[in-house]
Amino acid sequence: MDYGYVNARIRGMKSYLLDRHTLENLIFQPDMESLIADLEKTPYRNDIIAAKVQYSDVLCIEYALRKNFTHTFRKILKFVKDSEAERYIRIFLHRWDVQNITTIIRGKNIHVTNEEILDCLVPAGEMDEATLTELIKQPDVRAVIDMLATWEIVYARPLTEHFPRFSETGDLAILECALDRYYYENALETVRKRSYNNALIRDILGTEIDIVNIKTILRMIRDHVKEDLVLDFLIEGGKELDIEDLKYLLTLHSVNEAVRALEKTSYRFLADIPETVVMGKISVLEKQLEKYLIRKGVNAFFSDPLSVGSVIGYFWAKYNEITNIRIISRCKTADFPLDQLKEELIYV
Amino acid sequence: MEQVKPTRMELMKTKAQIKLAEQGRDLLREKMDALIQEFFKILSTVSASRDELDAISRSADLALLVAQAVDDPVTIRSASFATRRAITVDITGKNIMGVPVPVIEKKRVSKSMLERGYGVIATSGRIDETAERFEAELDLLIELAETETAMRRLGGEIQRNRRRVNALEQVLIPELKSQAKFIKNAIEEREREDLFRLKKVKRILERKKKAQKEKAAKKTQGMG
Repeated sequence: MDYGYVNARIRGMKSYLLDRHTLENLIFQPDMESLIADLEKTPYRNDIIAAKVQYSDVLCIEYALRKNFTHTFRKILKFVKDSEAERYIRIFLHRWDVQNITTIIRGKNIHVTNEEILDCLVPAGEMDEATLTELIKQPDVRAVIDMLATWEIVYARPLTEHFPRFSETGDLAILECALDRYYYENALETVRKRSYNNALIRDILGTEIDIVNIKTILRMIRDHVKEDLVLDFLIEGGKELDIEDLKYLLTLHSVNEAVRALEKTSYRFLADIPETVVMGKISVLEKQLEKYLIRKGVNAFFSDPLSVGSVIGYFWAKYNEITNIRIISRCKTADFPLDQLKEELIYV
Repeated sequence: MEQVKPTRMELMKTKAQIKLAEQGRDLLREKMDALIQEFFKILSTVSASRDELDAISRSADLALLVAQAVDDPVTIRSASFATRRAITVDITGKNIMGVPVPVIEKKRVSKSMLERGYGVIATSGRIDETAERFEAELDLLIELAETETAMRRLGGEIQRNRRRVNALEQVLIPELKSQAKFIKNAIEEREREDLFRLKKVKRILERKKKAQKEKAAKKTQGMG
């Protein structure tokens, strides 16, 4: 695998990412028209022009961002085709497949129209728009799972396994939870063998699993959910917190206690957030955790240049950029005060 | 007025009508006072709830904005597909001074995270907070639907009552009183006419009597 070539291409693409100065320029645009005009001067130009045909204002920007993300990673997949790097990128892109399958089964469960479901899909993963459109045509949840099994898509496995429980209870969260857990288990299984690249991916995935588990536990503690009900939602394979640690966190009575219990881990920064800022809002803590994860992902750039690090770093940097532009554009629609808008941004 | 028969019977009837109208007016006034009291009692709770609703609505919109901005609107819409949509409320009724008002059984719309239907792993606390605030808004809206409907109905009844009282006070009672006055005047006028006529007849009769007496006296003088 010629990582030198991949690295050169990715670094070239990275140079097109918007810097902090450009983002700040976007923040200071007085209205949506100027924001769109400004974005037309960036690499998002083509996607914005294409989106303008169908949408206007914030919807145009959001549509363009989604399209850009999809195009960018399709482009990367083309130049890493049939290589080891492709396998690693697909691990991260599969989360869009999981999100799309989840959206389809949610829609089918309450009989939302196919058009409505299609509007909510982001074909950035392995399943392209044609595959997803075919999946949407299925009449119900069972048929969607059967179709996935026919196409031998791995996510049919957890869905088929948990479908009887879903049929009994009608609780869609069972299928969603099984799917999400399977995603992480499958991703960890892919990078199980000892190698530099595998370790890099395992490290990021492990951190992500820790963060997902911490978020779940904090939300459960806040809602006073019984401990035995939470265990189904925890994922094994975290970098610093194993199931026993998580079980201990679940025994704590308040969010603050749980945050304080994390002081011995890398997530100690949560304890630095004043209680008055948190005030029972998990989103404040969540934001810091997400910031930490994105920073960790972007830092993969600084790993061995002849590894998958640059691709993974680019993935997170692009994700961060798109999130920031979306935050700016959404906040512009609501005339959000500038200082508050800056607080919402995830600067990494 | 010309159709009214100016008789004593009619006067008695009109006076009875006036008494009844005045009694009705007083009763309606009492009812109106009671309704106004109830109205203001509800009004104070409604205006407090309205302010609360405004605050909750603003915070729910803000939470939605942040969730859409950070998590992507398609993720939020997708999560909304997972939640159970139907909200059922039981509505019964009660009477306040004869005004039927609805009573909505307060079933909490607010749900715990696990009851919302979406998976916990792939969703965020921002979505929870948005859902939570919109559920609180819905709870308050249902509560307000009951009190505002009651208030609107009481307001309508107060208005109708005021119109009835005004109609009695400004139209019916003055009309009946003027009728009674007209009848009374007419009867008195007739009595005076009768008296005058009797006096006139009496005078004629006395004059006739006097003339007869004078004629008889002249006759006796002529014979003597």
